[in-house]
Amino acid sequence: MSRPLDDVVVIDLTRLFCASLGATFLADFGARVVRLELLPLAPREDGGGGGVWNHEADLIHRNKESLALDVQCEQGRALLHALVAKADVVLTDWSVPELEALGIDYAAASVLRPDIVFGRLSGFGPLGPDRDLPPIDELAAARTGMMPILPQPGQPPVYTGAGAMHSSAMLAFGVVTALLHRCVSGEGQAVDVSLFGANMYGAALDLQAFLAIGKGDRLLNPISRLDVSNPMSGALYPSADGRWVTLTMPDTDRWWPMFSAAVGIAEDDARFDTHDKRTESSRLELIHVLEAAFATQPGKHWRQVFADKGMSADIIERFDYPATDPQALINRYIVELEHPSFGAVKSLGFPIYMSEGTARLDALAPCSGQHTAQIMRDLLGYSEDDIHACRSAGVVA
Amino acid sequence: MTRALDGIRVIDLTVWFQGPVAAQYLADFGADVIKVERPQGGDQARGVRSIKSLEIGDWNQYFLVINRNKKSVALDLKTEGGREIMYRLVAESDVFLSNLAPAMLDAWGLSYDKLKEIKPDIIYATNTGYGRLGGVTKPSFDMTVQALTGIMARLGEPGEPPIYLGMGSGDAYGGIMSALGIALALYQRKRTGRGQCLDASLYGAQLFLAAPFLQSYLAGDSSAALQQSRKQVENPLWNLYPTTGKWVYLCEPNEDARWAALCRAFGDTQLAADARFADAAGRRQHNEALIEVIEAHSLRHDHTGLMAAFEREGLVASPVNNLADVIRDEQAWRNNYFMKTFCEEVQREVEVRGLPISLSKTPGEIRSLGPQLGQDTELVMMELLGYEWDEIEALKAKGAIP
Repeated sequence: MSRPLDDVVVIDLTRLFCASLGATFLADFGARVVRLELLPLAPREDGGGGGVWNHEADLIHRNKESLALDVQCEQGRALLHALVAKADVVLTDWSVPELEALGIDYAAASVLRPDIVFGRLSGFGPLGPDRDLPPIDELAAARTGMMPILPQPGQPPVYTGAGAMHSSAMLAFGVVTALLHRCVSGEGQAVDVSLFGANMYGAALDLQAFLAIGKGDRLLNPISRLDVSNPMSGALYPSADGRWVTLTMPDTDRWWPMFSAAVGIAEDDARFDTHDKRTESSRLELIHVLEAAFATQPGKHWRQVFADKGMSADIIERFDYPATDPQALINRYIVELEHPSFGAVKSLGFPIYMSEGTARLDALAPCSGQHTAQIMRDLLGYSEDDIHACRSAGVVA
Repeated sequence: MTRALDGIRVIDLTVWFQGPVAAQYLADFGADVIKVERPQGGDQARGVRSIKSLEIGDWNQYFLVINRNKKSVALDLKTEGGREIMYRLVAESDVFLSNLAPAMLDAWGLSYDKLKEIKPDIIYATNTGYGRLGGVTKPSFDMTVQALTGIMARLGEPGEPPIYLGMGSGDAYGGIMSALGIALALYQRKRTGRGQCLDASLYGAQLFLAAPFLQSYLAGDSSAALQQSRKQVENPLWNLYPTTGKWVYLCEPNEDARWAALCRAFGDTQLAADARFADAAGRRQHNEALIEVIEAHSLRHDHTGLMAAFEREGLVASPVNNLADVIRDEQAWRNNYFMKTFCEEVQREVEVRGLPISLSKTPGEIRSLGPQLGQDTELVMMELLGYEWDEIEALKAKGAIP
């Protein structure tokens, strides 16, 4: 079956998990992604595998090809340029000076290939005083303003890592959007995504609220879970066995008759019989009543109650839940695969389903240089003798 | 201005956040996005009046920002007339996007099979809660889905409650995944001429929000699921430290040269000579002691003083800012991550989240904030669908449109 990006060649010059994952999203949907590994290869930290499954590589480099190349020599540089000339997309998290030094920054790459789509992930965006800061997600998250307000009051700021994951999808979306434009216009362009911008979009609602309102202690300081704005929405309560219950029923009028019965409060309890009472005048009292109510039964009980009534509420789970959740498996969000060295293993799968070209796992992460000869042959038109000569000279491996 | 998605028409039958934000990405890059809403009240997000008990003020930034650059058509899809108008819209469109429950779409005659009859190459995109398969149809708000992924349970100090990533955090991620799926389908259609159906669920997307950690867990590292204290991180040089002001995030590899630079920043020659911390293995082994030592130093400064000392030694770090800092952050404004735009509702310029993806030749833009409910109904029916005025009057009389 065809896949969306079957006719697209991508050169993957990435180091960061998130940028490599952005390229994987393209590879999963059919793009031929050539990952460039620079010679000499750095020794692996774990001493070369050592019998441990490299689960990270098999996620962020799956479905890719590998070309090992020494870009410091002239011949290697020429090969790199020939490769860029054949590519539809370059995807990179390298710094601009690094790219310039190899003659493959956007300006130079678009001379080699005028309609190139050049996707770049930076730390803080292509413009402004901090454009050269390193692409470190923790730095970007620290600047975004959310870290202090995620935990309970008095607790250290919280780094989630979600901003980096946002950047992966943004990068892939930006590149495909630029490819769509290229179909119509014939022109390529630069696509820029930053960890800072991605963190800002991950923090969408709080950030936009503060931008518009311009003040508000409740957006600058953590809110205790015992002071939540709506006791029935965005709230957390411990159950009898310590498992946490979470509720999202913002429209409390709709849910109150069913919910009050489930937690053992009289529907007509005069303290809580209107939305305004529940979320304003009796808000703190309701939180305390619910705290006591949820503590009477274990998490399992509450999940059953929520399921029976179709309520918008659930139990907070750890990773063991998705790892064994049939729903995650049947939708291929998590896949079981047969690893040639490690047998049956589970891996993150595919977040998007498409009926006419859905993602599939064709190959695990390549070994360094696994496809060097093949790429030189079919993409660049090198003869076997030329390939052999390059290999002997240490230009490729 | 040239727009990347010029000529692409999207029917946006979405509510709240995930679906609207997916369509927002398409609209920002020039797609003609027609938001279809119920005549009574429209998208529920129009009713948002407060956020975290704060009044949202005189304009609804929740709704207006993620529905920018869109038209609004009000249709009662429970009426035959409303469905008829929807079918004519679909016939003129490239993409149909909805985050309503599949059962509801089926009941309204808006299944993929039905719409494909009307427009064979339609791209039919849904945002289910938990995926197309498996039969789970329980309510799927951002936080209740995030709760299942395991990401909340691993955040925070040990023993503290789980941590939600922030309002709309999962929806925003589901939204960009959905936009990516639609862009892929549009690209494939250019080559094959075929449409398709696709789904980006809130659960599927959110499982990727913790991808590095969930993948480690799947490979057998059970500690990846658990809360980890900042007092026990393996590399004390990459950690959060308190000051008398804001916290500071130090981001340095565990290397001797970086350690020496940190000792110089603190002006502590004794520390530099401490045998426990002399090499990377020692710093890893004595991590808890080292974190205490660094913290004792960091607490002698406020964040400005500590950052100045770090900068002198070329140490990579950032103060942990709050939202009041980020809205003034020059870097955010220079890159159009924040933008100013005119708000019809209050007749003045307002500040909004801008364009996080920069395309150099087709950069995206904010042409207008979210539409008023049904503001384009008649115009779209006449100009795009070719209805005559008397037909529109008849549909109004039947309650198909307001």
